[in-house]
Amino acid sequence: MIWWIISIAILIVLVFIYYFNRLVVLSNRIDNSLSQIDVQLKKRADLVPNLLESVKGYAKHEKNIIKEVTDARKALLGAQTLPAKMKAGSQLETALKSIFAIAENYPKLRANENFLQLQNELSVIEDKIAYARQFYNDSILSYNNTCTTFPGVIFARLYNKAQKPFLQIPKEERAIPKVKFD
Amino acid sequence: MAEKISFQDEIQKNKIKSFFLIIIIFVFFIILGYIISAILDPSYFFVIMIVAIIFSLSYILISYYNSDKIALASVKAKPASQTTHREFYNAAENMSIASGLPMPRLYVMESHQINAFASGRDPEHAVICVTSGTLERLNKQELEGVIGHEMSHIANYDIRFMTLTAVLIGMISIIAQIFLRSLWFSSVSGNSRDRDGRVQIFLIILGIVFAILAPIAANLVSLAISRKREFGADASGIKFTRYPPGLISALKKIKSQEVSEKDKHRFPKAVAPLFISDPLKKKISGIFATHPSIEKRISKLERM
Repeated sequence: MIWWIISIAILIVLVFIYYFNRLVVLSNRIDNSLSQIDVQLKKRADLVPNLLESVKGYAKHEKNIIKEVTDARKALLGAQTLPAKMKAGSQLETALKSIFAIAENYPKLRANENFLQLQNELSVIEDKIAYARQFYNDSILSYNNTCTTFPGVIFARLYNKAQKPFLQIPKEERAIPKVKFD
Repeated sequence: MAEKISFQDEIQKNKIKSFFLIIIIFVFFIILGYIISAILDPSYFFVIMIVAIIFSLSYILISYYNSDKIALASVKAKPASQTTHREFYNAAENMSIASGLPMPRLYVMESHQINAFASGRDPEHAVICVTSGTLERLNKQELEGVIGHEMSHIANYDIRFMTLTAVLIGMISIIAQIFLRSLWFSSVSGNSRDRDGRVQIFLIILGIVFAILAPIAANLVSLAISRKREFGADASGIKFTRYPPGLISALKKIKSQEVSEKDKHRFPKAVAPLFISDPLKKKISGIFATHPSIEKRISKLERM
């Protein structure tokens, strides 16, 4: 009889430990995938000054767009919170899209090897950002699933773990960049 | 798509299967040692058994830690270069981010056909190898589809079981070949030398045992690496890319490609089941096929 009680007690303790660890592992995965997005955003921001240099050489008077990119980059590097980072990141993305659209008007710029290489690198990073976001949302989903389904929901309440919000793709990013031809 | 990919069950199954495979191979060598000692000289029983245990342990350990290298060497794969295989690196980096797995080491093998395989003992020691034809003929989305498929083999530990099977059982069939040939050789030249009768009988029995074992071993490889795994990897691979048309169009290209006889020689029989599609393009379908038919895989993907 006493052995039954002891083994059931051990089992209960093990279940508590299991769920505690599982929630910690899942939420660590979220933090890790967030830093993945950060790494890629940072990489993109680092390429921007070089890009602007080559753009300035051929399209000096596109001051507005150049300023827009510089500002977006500054905002991204200065952003502290996640929503601010995402917002700045998508601003930079939009601004970069306009730069590449404008480049169409400057055949010499388009033929510039440095510019082409940067354009290529930026589009590669673009893909990585998209996949990093996807993985971030995947991680949130598995965390939230554990937090909201039975019996995980009990332990989530017990350990004070709340659901986490998904990463929304900001509206500006879905819009097609406007380019004025005047 | 809403359900998060969970590999836990498959990982567990693959680990258990790999473990049993190792036990079976170990027992096989012990029995072999026992037979040898019984035939040769029972007084050497302990010596032969110790040798058999040491041999089988080292054989298994070497295979376990080097199965990926053996598989890569058998197709003469070379490490991919960051500069000339840029697209390959980008696709693999993307899939590694999307799956949350560490970046695998990348290899390229010389072959005109489109094909790829993954190997290694766990995600931390994984390799992905593609043919040079794959890099020439697939576009970005198709390449990502193929790499995503390989990534899910890595994620659910298929690679450990598949490569271990190919290497361990493949080696048995090589040993069988050696014995069979030496048997034939010794029976031809046997008369000239005065051999011990016991050794002669021993070789004959061993030869017969291996003659039976070799084809069984070859079939075991294809049975163990079941066709179900390919469907599974297709399904979870597109959860990484979120773009089924990429893999579908890659499979269509694989289906329509012509494979020359010369090209088939680059793919040893034992490692053929590791590839995304059967590199030997055998006409057999059904229970002895190593891969499900590509039409079936395409139609399953199209329904997702």
